[in-house]
Amino acid sequence: MPLGSVIFAFILGAVIVAVTGANPFAAYSGLLCGGFGIGCTQGENPALEISNTIVFTIPLITTGVAVALPFRAGLFNIGAEGQLLAGSVACTAIGIKFSTLPTPILLPMVLLGGMAAGAFWAGIAGVLKATVGAHEVVTTIMLNYVAQWLVRYLIIGGPLQLAAGTSKSQPIGAGARLATILPADNSFIVFGLPASVYRVHTGLFIALVAAAVFAFLLWRTSFGYEVRAVGQSQKAARYAGVSVRRTIIFTMLIAGAFSGLAGAVQIAGVDHNLTDKYFSDTTGFDAIAVALLGLGSAVGIILAALLFGALHSGGAIMQSDAGISSNLVLVLQALILFSIAANFVGAIRRGLPFGRGVTPAQPSELPPAAGLMSEAAVPPPETT
Amino acid sequence: MSALGDVGHLLLTATLWQAALAAAVLLLLPALGGVISERSGVVNIAMEGMMLTGAFFSVVADLAWHNPWLATLVAIVAGGMMALIHAVVSIQFRADQIVSGIAINIFAAGLTVFLVSRIYGLQDIGHVGPTEGLPYIDIHGLDQIPFLGQVLFNQNVVVYIALILLVATHVVLFRTRLGLRIRAVGEHPMAADTAGLNVFAIRYGAVLTSGLLSGLAGAFLAIGISNTFIQNMTDGRGYIALAAMIFGKWTPFGAFIACLIFGLGQAIYDNNSIIHFSPYLLSMLPYVLTLIVLAGLVGRSIPPAADGLPYVPGSE
Repeated sequence: MPLGSVIFAFILGAVIVAVTGANPFAAYSGLLCGGFGIGCTQGENPALEISNTIVFTIPLITTGVAVALPFRAGLFNIGAEGQLLAGSVACTAIGIKFSTLPTPILLPMVLLGGMAAGAFWAGIAGVLKATVGAHEVVTTIMLNYVAQWLVRYLIIGGPLQLAAGTSKSQPIGAGARLATILPADNSFIVFGLPASVYRVHTGLFIALVAAAVFAFLLWRTSFGYEVRAVGQSQKAARYAGVSVRRTIIFTMLIAGAFSGLAGAVQIAGVDHNLTDKYFSDTTGFDAIAVALLGLGSAVGIILAALLFGALHSGGAIMQSDAGISSNLVLVLQALILFSIAANFVGAIRRGLPFGRGVTPAQPSELPPAAGLMSEAAVPPPETT
Repeated sequence: MSALGDVGHLLLTATLWQAALAAAVLLLLPALGGVISERSGVVNIAMEGMMLTGAFFSVVADLAWHNPWLATLVAIVAGGMMALIHAVVSIQFRADQIVSGIAINIFAAGLTVFLVSRIYGLQDIGHVGPTEGLPYIDIHGLDQIPFLGQVLFNQNVVVYIALILLVATHVVLFRTRLGLRIRAVGEHPMAADTAGLNVFAIRYGAVLTSGLLSGLAGAFLAIGISNTFIQNMTDGRGYIALAAMIFGKWTPFGAFIACLIFGLGQAIYDNNSIIHFSPYLLSMLPYVLTLIVLAGLVGRSIPPAADGLPYVPGSE
């Protein structure tokens, strides 16, 4: 089903490209080259393109997990972006403040700090949901914007600004940085290029560990059982003795920690300072597509993150080689979302369900977050 | 002088309130659309994308035909088309309405810039001449009233239209049979279906209306205020409209009051040259206020009962 959705989206995307008078084959070969280093025509280095794809994939895995875990509890975390920004801010602030500390102390500090900040940001939504029943979709949207404006404030005129007139922060200390996988050595040649141009960093392992932790939490712990129970039916979970409130709050805290970690890793591994690039960052929104496409499993999320990482990385090559705006990637991403959510492929297979009541009711096919608004719109009535 | 004193001084100028009303209307139109859509039971977080699409197509049409009215019509239709996608995906295919809404917003952000590059090259789209923008209208006589005249009767034509639409939305929703039906479908679609209402048709109509209103807001933004299209120019206004809708407890006038508060914040932000307070912190205000409302500190805000649930005939 997911693969069909992706193919369906790419076909629709090709139609849009063709209708606007461009060549869809040129567009997609640009994407393929920039994403996976396959079929490059302008002399791009395939290894470098794959390295770039992985750099984009890393935060998508971690934020994808941050969306997928609440999904299992019937919660829709649209706030991965805000939580990521909170993590980036915390990582940057700690990395600047304690810039002289050595790596073994400072690196864990910035990563844990980022996790704590992300958990706090998501925790607001979790607590509001669990106590007064405020819908987490709405609260996390609001928190995203608060985080965005906070970043702008901090680096434009605020305490983290590098110098007047700039829109970036000071760089974090050397001890707060994640190492690149290849040594930053210009004399060391890898695939025809000096090793230092490959930006792929050790955050990759952190992201993979995060995905493993997600799977372990969900399937091998009692907390994971509670998460799934709450996601299936809050009422049934309550009868089974699960504290729905506690589960909602902890789910959001952990999800926020994942997103915050993604933001911290992005600062520590790639950017080394907070820049205006973060104003228009969309990782946390891409994560929604990643989680949906990955069907909420760790391996699925990693594969889906790789696809979207490749799209992002490929967009730049498509624009430079084929002259087609990299914004086509956003169009494709939206089409993939439509396609998964509406299950167009399944609908085509069943015969289009036009008209009322053609298909029988299939509540089990409802998307994971659909049920949450009925019973979850009111706060769980708990006294204990 | 203190920041607070500066703001106090600013609050006494008619220019500020004039700008505040215009900014409020920009939020009011999509917020009204959101109220109508959600009252019918379809969650709509796609106002941002519908508005952006409207903004883009209004500029394209205006540059092509040099007629702001035609361009506005095109924008309204374009907003409606995006809403139609949302309606088909979430009503017909029963997709998750939030996922569909997010997809619309991403789609609009990508498609508009993609089309700019296809139509105008990878460069800027260009400016619409001032004569091709939506006109400002002085209501002669009334605009001579001190203070209020400038605030209320010296505005863009869209402001007057929006205020009429505000009253109309309220009347239709709460004083007519159609409004009762819309609300019935949003509260208990099965009961409405049993009573002989066409749930799908009413929801389609409501979602489409939200697109038309958001498209109009896009035209106001692009050819009424900015006279150009810029990548992602709605800049979260669709989401602030969503916040206003919730803040206003899913009622037109409640949403309007919220829009006025947010619009005032926007106007103060735009006039920040005389205040020494970070405009970025001020920009958080709508979102923080909405969080406070949601936290139940200023009264509960409860959505329509069936909001967000796809209707499957024959089931609850």
